[in-house]
Amino acid sequence: MIKKFFSNTLFIKLSIGFATLIFLFAGYFISKLLFDLSVFSEFIFNFFLERFSYNLAYLASSIIGALGIISFVGLVLLIGSWVERRVIARFQIRVGPNRVGPFGLLQPLADAIKLMQKEVLVPDIADKLLFLIPPVAIFLPAILAWGPIPWGPNMSYLDINVGILYVFAVSSLTVPIIFFAGWSSMNHYALLGSMRTVAMMVSYEIPVSLSLLSVALVTGTLNFNEIVMWQSNNSIWLGLFIPFALFTFFFASTAEINRTPNDIAEAESEIVAGYHIEYSGMKAGLFMAVELGNAVLLGALISSLFLNGWFLFGIENLVPPYIIFITKTVFIYLLLIWLRATFPRFRLDQLMNFAWKTLIPASIIHFFVVAIEVSIISNFSEIPYLIVLFTVINISLVVLLAYLWGKIFHVQQYQPEKIQPRFAASIGGLEAMKEVSSID
Amino acid sequence: MIVEQYVRVLILVILAIAFPLLPLAGSYLFSKINYRPANSNEIKSSIYECGVEAADITWRQFNAKYFLYALGFVIFDVEVIFLFPWAVIHTEQAFSILIKVAIFVIVLAFGLFYAWRWRALEWQQ
Repeated sequence: MIKKFFSNTLFIKLSIGFATLIFLFAGYFISKLLFDLSVFSEFIFNFFLERFSYNLAYLASSIIGALGIISFVGLVLLIGSWVERRVIARFQIRVGPNRVGPFGLLQPLADAIKLMQKEVLVPDIADKLLFLIPPVAIFLPAILAWGPIPWGPNMSYLDINVGILYVFAVSSLTVPIIFFAGWSSMNHYALLGSMRTVAMMVSYEIPVSLSLLSVALVTGTLNFNEIVMWQSNNSIWLGLFIPFALFTFFFASTAEINRTPNDIAEAESEIVAGYHIEYSGMKAGLFMAVELGNAVLLGALISSLFLNGWFLFGIENLVPPYIIFITKTVFIYLLLIWLRATFPRFRLDQLMNFAWKTLIPASIIHFFVVAIEVSIISNFSEIPYLIVLFTVINISLVVLLAYLWGKIFHVQQYQPEKIQPRFAASIGGLEAMKEVSSID
Repeated sequence: MIVEQYVRVLILVILAIAFPLLPLAGSYLFSKINYRPANSNEIKSSIYECGVEAADITWRQFNAKYFLYALGFVIFDVEVIFLFPWAVIHTEQAFSILIKVAIFVIVLAFGLFYAWRWRALEWQQ
């Protein structure tokens, strides 16, 4: 009788409903409790202020915030490599890492332990001191740039009025560090790789700064918090208002962080591994890790500058704002993985020509157009919906430019009838993958 | 209050240096307890050159092409840094400031055009 009751479908449905209710209630309660993480640092600040001096209280709350950022970056480095390998595997109709732990979730940990077990070699004729610095120092720009990122209403670690310039200055640190790595290795491939990387990063820093200049033009501030607030006050995303700046920033930043359409530094077919060819063991692993961290950092920058940060149509009142922010960041990161799975690598001369002959002149013209638009908006502020009008104009201009670009360079349309992977689709590929994925 | 914010930058710098040192320390510890190999020899510590001995020292003259790009970068980067203060107060300014900025940028854009004209931007010659 009791056994019959427990196998009843009604009981199963009831228990599922009950579990869902408990889960929702717990989720609501936890989200209310952790709605604003800044209360913790405020609590510590007040705790130390009552007992000790103001300076110590400030120091303690700052260390808590810095540890929060560091732990987030560490979590990203651990989970991100699993996500990247897993998603890329799905793109290539494979399964990906699925042996270590459930769904292969412990794979990054196993990788880290494996890298630690490997021998760390230093070439005899290398410049020993310069050779030691880069794997550690390359983390400076990747972590320092997280400082002014606004996670929530009053949840930014650095609330400085030169936020954009700070990120710009800090991310420029990568160039000398990469050059140290290539120069000190005493290797032809490494020197060539670092020279190419430095030339490319230096070229693409100009489009990045010009696109950030148009952001500063529109919002009239360099503070990340105020940029996010401007977007919500005017109820428009900057990515929609100045889509060309978004495109420029996105494309040029992939060159800055050596992600795949522009990963000249690691052109395996030409220069074996680029600037970190002589690094082995954990040091090479650190170089790999920092590339992943930079990709997520790019997602955070784009979502706060162009995608309205932690605002999302009023949902930020129900869900903790930093969850929304991280969701947008992860979305951009998945977009980067998609790009990596889709595009081949550009040649170096193509990339340099694109930077100097297309992107820089176009960015200069673009920021003048934006400046004129902003003057019109600020001078005729009594006319409503002027900003919406300019949004439509900007988007249509970018679409027109893309169309003309395709016309000029005769970009051929993808014709699927020429390629028919019938065999792979029906026998191998997806069909075979269904059976393999049952391992999980 | 602004100066206080840069104390936070210093804290973040210290933690950012400590963060990658942790796995390196783990690797060093593994070598101390003989859990990872740490016996380098002449072959291992030579330079990777696809299996052959390195032909020559690397620190010597290099292609001047890279230097031209670096020059162009310095000019335009300084230009953009000069433009940032104007960009911040642009909404409060009159339209005539824009024309002055345009003159400043057109002079530099002429430099870009000049370099382009004299094939300084061609990667292969």
